[in-house]
Amino acid sequence: MREKETTLYLGPQHPGVTGNMMVKLKVAGDTVVKAETHVGYLHRAFEKLMEQRTWMQSFPIVCRICVPEPDPNEENLARAIEEIEGREVPERAKYIRVMILELSRLAAYMLWMGGQAGTAGLYTVPQWSVGDRDYIIDLFEELTGGRIYHMYIWAGGVRRDLPEGFADKVLRTMDYLESRLPEYDKLFFENAIFQKRAKGVGIIDKDKALEWGVVGPPLRGCGIKHDVRIDEPYEVYDKLDFVVPTHEGGDVWSRAMVRRQEMEQSISIIRQVIDKMPAGEYYNKVPNPLNWYVPEGDAYVKTESARGEFGYYAVSDGGLKPRRVHVRGPAYVHGVSLLEKILVGANISDVAFIMNSLGVCPPEIER
Amino acid sequence: MKTQNINIEKEIATEIQNTFHTAEVNIKRNKRIEVKLRNDLIPPFLSYAKNYLTFNHLAHFSCVDWIEQNEFELVYIIYSYEKGVIVLAKTRIDREKAEFVTTRHLWYQAETYERELHEMFGINFKGNDRLNEFILEDWEGIPPYRRDFDTVKYATDNFYTRPGREDAKDVRENVTKINKEEIPEFAKEYSVRSLK
Repeated sequence: MREKETTLYLGPQHPGVTGNMMVKLKVAGDTVVKAETHVGYLHRAFEKLMEQRTWMQSFPIVCRICVPEPDPNEENLARAIEEIEGREVPERAKYIRVMILELSRLAAYMLWMGGQAGTAGLYTVPQWSVGDRDYIIDLFEELTGGRIYHMYIWAGGVRRDLPEGFADKVLRTMDYLESRLPEYDKLFFENAIFQKRAKGVGIIDKDKALEWGVVGPPLRGCGIKHDVRIDEPYEVYDKLDFVVPTHEGGDVWSRAMVRRQEMEQSISIIRQVIDKMPAGEYYNKVPNPLNWYVPEGDAYVKTESARGEFGYYAVSDGGLKPRRVHVRGPAYVHGVSLLEKILVGANISDVAFIMNSLGVCPPEIER
Repeated sequence: MKTQNINIEKEIATEIQNTFHTAEVNIKRNKRIEVKLRNDLIPPFLSYAKNYLTFNHLAHFSCVDWIEQNEFELVYIIYSYEKGVIVLAKTRIDREKAEFVTTRHLWYQAETYERELHEMFGINFKGNDRLNEFILEDWEGIPPYRRDFDTVKYATDNFYTRPGREDAKDVRENVTKINKEEIPEFAKEYSVRSLK
């Protein structure tokens, strides 16, 4: 006999992801028959607000598009402006930017690990990983003055140079985080509960992944080796030595393994960056930001964030303010069309678990 | 590395030009090609780019309001993983009768982009039956991302001012008064409110 279908509203209060969104589920028994994403709880019309501010005044807005990982937004907007204007960025600034992006990736993965374990009921992991993430946040605070939102990367370079002894602190933090990884393996990745929950759950079809617009760790978790840092190297990624881990399977487990291996790569990249960072200028000064007419033109730039391809399409009409800035966050696809597809057939208890594994960040969807 | 081949953009541009004679093809830079097309040619172009030129990743779909020309510019940003190149396919549609066709049959996720552009710009995508409420709730009036939508007016009409800020003064005036300083002339000129 066919089971009666019931409607279940999951969210909007943190339904397994960082931020507010709701998933309307049609369930039969405890199996999802249909899923519909509802967003709109975090819409702040950032893109519209940017059209009423100068280019440089837009930086404090864009970092707020993603709380766990704000830096790719700043870097993207900066690079879009630089591309439209044809402005060169000093080599040192490029190295500093990569260091920031990788620190931000590590911080985002720490937070993801807490969320992923939390949705599986393993509550010790968030206590550890959020605590360890704070060491990275402390570094950001010392460097930029802000713990979460940094407004540090801006058009022309970065806002200020590294303070004295900062590089050593970063290296010491990396040593510490590296020493913690085996502990996380024992606590989380090798945990029988996590393995049992993650393997074979939330599978993305490998053949369809590219066409569906899957990016980042979910794509690499399907065994497809694509990463913006390799495909279209930006800043100084082409001068660094790192590998792009992939994992076959396309399930939550594969995505977790990709992220776990990428943490090691990020630590290695940060060490290389500090080792190779040249001395010199960190900022190619722009004209008075309040009276800066960016030439007419448009640019699409992209960055590999912790959740995948982060793109900015920026248009200038030659005026003081942007004509249009349109943000493409990975969650735009992962959180709506992909999520609605792969939740069908899932168990209710796995919904939050799958959402977290895709790295859905609602403010990125609605901005 | 495969993406370092500088000639690939020329090859793709020539191929597009030979197939779509009326297209305006322009290599913007390494890995970026801009293709401007008549709006009726966009669906066949996207299908051709996806199926013959391996541009199978719809990276972004955007809209720019060119109110001065009474037009919307639709920008499809597609990427070929194989070739490592991005094509920005652009077309213009009438702003008054904002209508276009869906590309959901090519990329399932286009549906989400179309839902957003429908809500924010009021563009109707024929063939997309899911142009329902997406981000906004019970929205009435002109779509908010159109250039003629006045954000400040909407905010003052619909929300109350924080107590003590009824005059909506520039906070710098109070700060400078407390610190017995003066706002420099250039800063007065470029204050946020004067940037109209």
